[in-house]
Amino acid sequence: MIELQERTRRISPSRLHEILLAHDCKSLVDPFMGLPTHLNYLKRHGIAVHGGDLLEWFVRVGEGIIANDLTFLRDSEVAEIVEMLPGRIYSQELFKAWEGVFFSEEQCVYLGVWHDNVRNLRSDQQTGLAILGLWRTFCYWLQKMQCSDDMQDIAPSELAWSYIRQTEQWVIGNMRRNTVRRGDVLATMGAQSADALFLSPPPRNSFRSADARIWMWEAWWQGNPYFAIEHAYRDSLLGARASDAPSYSRAVSSILSSADQFPLVIVQTTEQRLHDIEPLVRSARRHVEIRAPHPYEIYLVATN
Amino acid sequence: MTLFQDASGDPRAATAKLADVLSWYGALGDAAAGNPPGFCVRKASIAVALCEIVSAPAEESHVAFFSGLLHAVGTLGNAAYRKGSDLPERVARIESWDIPAEGARIVATIAALPAQSADLVRWQSECWDGTGYPDQLRWHGIPRTAQFLALADTFARAGDPEEALGAIGLQSGRAFGPDAARAFVTWFHSTGGEDTAQPFPRDALLPGVTSAEKLFDEISDRVDEHNGVSGRWRRVERLSLATADALKTDDDTRRQIEIASRIFGAGELASSMIEDSRFDPLARLGIDDRAKHAALAASLASRLESMGDAPAAVASRGEWYDGTGKPRGLTQKSIPMAARILSATIAYDKLDRAERLDTAVGTQFGPHVVRAVFEAAKAKA
Repeated sequence: MIELQERTRRISPSRLHEILLAHDCKSLVDPFMGLPTHLNYLKRHGIAVHGGDLLEWFVRVGEGIIANDLTFLRDSEVAEIVEMLPGRIYSQELFKAWEGVFFSEEQCVYLGVWHDNVRNLRSDQQTGLAILGLWRTFCYWLQKMQCSDDMQDIAPSELAWSYIRQTEQWVIGNMRRNTVRRGDVLATMGAQSADALFLSPPPRNSFRSADARIWMWEAWWQGNPYFAIEHAYRDSLLGARASDAPSYSRAVSSILSSADQFPLVIVQTTEQRLHDIEPLVRSARRHVEIRAPHPYEIYLVATN
Repeated sequence: MTLFQDASGDPRAATAKLADVLSWYGALGDAAAGNPPGFCVRKASIAVALCEIVSAPAEESHVAFFSGLLHAVGTLGNAAYRKGSDLPERVARIESWDIPAEGARIVATIAALPAQSADLVRWQSECWDGTGYPDQLRWHGIPRTAQFLALADTFARAGDPEEALGAIGLQSGRAFGPDAARAFVTWFHSTGGEDTAQPFPRDALLPGVTSAEKLFDEISDRVDEHNGVSGRWRRVERLSLATADALKTDDDTRRQIEIASRIFGAGELASSMIEDSRFDPLARLGIDDRAKHAALAASLASRLESMGDAPAAVASRGEWYDGTGKPRGLTQKSIPMAARILSATIAYDKLDRAERLDTAVGTQFGPHVVRAVFEAAKAKA
């Protein structure tokens, strides 16, 4: 059985928004955006947001809920995603490697069908929304494996249907240009200027201990159940080699020193990592305010 | 003169007043959100019961209570519910997602509450699978107590306990974490789904850091802003007290006026209620609405000891001097003095031409009161 992590990154976008409002910031760049639901909140509140990540499915979701202001999936389009379409040949064996280990045979067939259907969608925006909805279905399955007695059996297509339809509510415009890009942190920072930079630097060697719900979905999107994000992205995560403590500190310092064009830098960390991160932020910026509402959620608000 | 009965510096009495004001805040949040009276206490109590099921520390139970009590305060002033805002359904739904975050900002300013209360108000509508609002937190990023609040909300809204059990079971792993849902099922089977009201944990309030009077004023300001009549209670109170002086009323009447001016606006909060400012205060046309406003505000406040006789005065503010008012058809001196003054000053505040108040003498208002209102208004001018 696969272990699902209890400690997950927690970003409270409503709190982040309060910080941005206090500093009169109207735009933000987040080069480690992850699943960009927090950027969606900020976008909804009128902030122009620009996100970046290395994992492609995060960026695809960003195309659905960040860059997209108008497009959503109608009922008939959702139906074309969640079920096998007559006449189309599917790679039903694509995720057979996961069968018995993580999922049932039926679930693996669905993963293959959905993979093909999503790849055939007409627009990037719809693709992003579908990936998000299907990912929630996928997470439900993983969770159910752990708590089978506590969760209901729901037909895969029905569950996927409800989750994909739900994505419509996150599609909204803010009369600003919002972007996402696939790239490492330095590329994202260099490509876009903004009033604020939000950094939530992943821990050292974080790909090695990545949550199954994250890496497996990248593997799903890539259509390769053996895909390992650690091998694919390890050295590009922080824009430089960062596998040991000194090189990790150097890489984070380098990111902070490249952030001169951003008047405000907000670094999110945890109590456990604060003593490592705080000196780096203080050496890069003159004024650093610490907001620590929770041990898992500490914001270093840095200005010059 | 103090707003509430002077407790001669007794800290327990001060805490009791603050508890009443917080309960009042919770009740107003419910009224604005369209929840039935007492909903917030029920939600808070169920959340506390769930904390007990998992043997949570007492501090966590207290925070659950406060967060449940104040769960809807963010509704006051929210664009989706504010009087006069006419948003399309989708936009209104999206605006309503900000209610928990707005509530958290309000709760964070109440220093007497435990610090975690604000975050629980913020995250009470988050869903385990990340589809909640406002922050779309997911999995263990959502505090356990916030999940209990969400469960309590679902249970309290359901018409039938068995139906609630089914709905919550269906949402296990989606809206609710499996562990939290399991705690709910355990509670349900151990109590038969019968919730009992938990006492207000007054001892958990930090003493001496929040003034009940000041908070009461802030709440009244928010109510007026929500109703689109900013600063109304302050104007009504000033004029009412000056009128009371002109009529040489006793201290009890003055105290009733002070509290009643702050609470009468609560009757207009519910979205189904039109606001007083919509109709001519001297016309019979709005008499039923005024009586409804009065009854609702009075019923919300009557449960709170600190409010004294003020709810009775508010309840009678729709009565007419000639006995044709609502709800009881009281006449002349059988209408409490505070109510007679309040109804005249509320009408005066709304009138485009103040002298029109004269036209209602002998029917809606008593001649002495109207004369005193004019006298007081003139003196203030």
